[in-house]
Amino acid sequence: MVNRLLLVTALLASGCALAEEVAPRASVVEADKTETLTVEADGFVDPLRELKFNPGLDQREFERSTLAALNIYDPLESLNRRIYHFNYRFDQWVFLPVVDGYRYVTPGFVRTGVSNFFNNLGDVPNLFNSVLQLKPKRSAEITARLMFNTIIGVGGLWDPATKMGLPRQSEDFGQTLGFYGVPDGPYLMLPILGPSNLRDTTGLVVDYVGEKEINYLNVPDTASDHPELTVLRAVDKRYTTNFRYGQTNSPFEYEKLRYVYTQARKLQIAE
Amino acid sequence: MLRSLRLAALLGGLLLAAAASARDIDAASYGYPLTNPFEATIATTPPEQRPTLPSDDDIDQADYSLTLRPEREFTLPDNFWSVKKLRYRLAKQDHEAPLIFLIAGTGAPYSSSINEYLKKLFYQAGYHVVQLSSPTSWDFMSAASRFATPGVTSEDAKDLYRVMQAVRAQQAHLPVSEYYLTGYSLGALDAAFVSKLDETRKSFNFKRVLLLNPPVNLYTSITNLDKLVQTRVKGIDRSTTFYELMLEKLTRYFQDKGYIDLNEALLYDFQKSRQHLSNEQMAMLIGTSFRFSAADIAFTSDLINRRGLIIPPKFPITEGSSLEPFFKRALQCDFDCYLTEQVIPMWRARTDGNSLLQLVDQVSLYALEDYLRASPKIAVMHNADDVILGPGDIGFLRRVFGERLTLYPHGGHCGNLNYRVNSDAMLEFFRG
Repeated sequence: MVNRLLLVTALLASGCALAEEVAPRASVVEADKTETLTVEADGFVDPLRELKFNPGLDQREFERSTLAALNIYDPLESLNRRIYHFNYRFDQWVFLPVVDGYRYVTPGFVRTGVSNFFNNLGDVPNLFNSVLQLKPKRSAEITARLMFNTIIGVGGLWDPATKMGLPRQSEDFGQTLGFYGVPDGPYLMLPILGPSNLRDTTGLVVDYVGEKEINYLNVPDTASDHPELTVLRAVDKRYTTNFRYGQTNSPFEYEKLRYVYTQARKLQIAE
Repeated sequence: MLRSLRLAALLGGLLLAAAASARDIDAASYGYPLTNPFEATIATTPPEQRPTLPSDDDIDQADYSLTLRPEREFTLPDNFWSVKKLRYRLAKQDHEAPLIFLIAGTGAPYSSSINEYLKKLFYQAGYHVVQLSSPTSWDFMSAASRFATPGVTSEDAKDLYRVMQAVRAQQAHLPVSEYYLTGYSLGALDAAFVSKLDETRKSFNFKRVLLLNPPVNLYTSITNLDKLVQTRVKGIDRSTTFYELMLEKLTRYFQDKGYIDLNEALLYDFQKSRQHLSNEQMAMLIGTSFRFSAADIAFTSDLINRRGLIIPPKFPITEGSSLEPFFKRALQCDFDCYLTEQVIPMWRARTDGNSLLQLVDQVSLYALEDYLRASPKIAVMHNADDVILGPGDIGFLRRVFGERLTLYPHGGHCGNLNYRVNSDAMLEFFRG
């Protein structure tokens, strides 16, 4: 009896297996609305077949683009590279272990609260700079963010504004300068702070001084008596920055970072 | 009655045997949203169709480093300080569990995004997970590779095997029940060779080995990848380079949108916008990313072996030295150039090798045909529209793996690895 049952189940199972293995290959083609791909006998759909190649296969566009992209004004390269290596080591031996410790001792909602709090402070220079760039819509949005987050979000610990459809938009004085056509200037690798250039470094200083002068929520004043607040801000900044030195895993990370930074800033200024 | 049933069973068995061919997943029931192979390769699965995975905070994990080539401490230049030891990542369960090794793809480090994804997937399913860099990655070449000329797969597998043994030695207190192995892209080819090596060295006795989107013929794969930067891209002219074109599109996209929001949905949204990329542009983008890997490999291999093709031997390099002139030279070398100028000469000198064809046979899956056919513990998952395959490659996989090949209709190159259907199939395979 058991034997018989086994046989029946085996049969049933084989039926199922067969049903699973039905392969109507034609459906692949039907599903492809955009192009008619030819399916080869073994089921291979060659993606290269649909592409238009240059006939001689001798175009040097990759080389041309990349060599042009390397062309960034970097007169202090030697010093910058040393600072890059210093930052890399500092990150690995000091900064990231501290961030890991921070992650270990605090629960997630506390870290989010800390990030929100400092982001809310950061909305002050954001507002300031978006006014300077004569962007009325963005300025209004940031003002609304500041109000909601400071009042409803209890001093910025929560971020109800983002949930209301007012995402954080960052504007700094470097972007304002860029908006008015100030060129990048030489590329700079700042100790600990990372990639920058002369224009953005100037912007950084202006934003810092501005924040001190405005003294929003009394935080900058308090911070001068309590350096731990500044340390917390730095740790939070590192905690929220995804970049890791060495993440490109390339001997040419310095060049790649330089290019990406320069282009990312251009993008931020243009938008 | 009994006889007829037996007959039926026999017939059923025969039918089953006839159908013991590859598991072809049909497009309709598969339901993968991206039918364009290039889109799938670049964007991978839309976030809502990925499996739910634990966050990094919920995983007990750390990076460790191994000193495998102590002499490199002295022979490598100062600015290679970060890759004089080989790093790997281990996610530990708090009880005895099976351990799975993940091998990254071309040029990718242990922390590559696919490795991270696979780690989360397998960790959640109760495995200890060890993430390893690809033998073609900068750190592996510098810190673990004996010849630092990746491409001869059997040699790469030996290097990997030593790394795995060193990992086990370093983690001696980790309670491991059994060993599993997987890898994606080039890492899958490596995994096949490592598994073969394990049959004689017997250090791990891998219980199951899964190859995710492996190249079948390594030469076809690198030729295809080299070719991708030869597409005719609309919008490139004398004054606009390819990158400028891409950045213009991105800028316009963000300007239309009103703000910059970098999130996971960005790519899908971008492809739905007016600025979406054409197939040629996407192909160029994929090709570009591989060319950067090729440049890194060519430069590193040349430097470590002092071949003098890209950087003069004994050229003094400090942390402040500019590498730009060498980067420029390395950029002009694609995979084919690296193979011809560096791999083949070394392979010939070391092994009395002859023609390119012979090398291709030795380093591709062809070399393992008999082993793979006779090893029920090894399975392969591939996509019908994978850009690293050539005509006949899937036929080869069908012949060799039979029902152990699962062929998905879409996904491009590794684009569907994080699709829920695929992740379930992977876990199911290792569950046994």
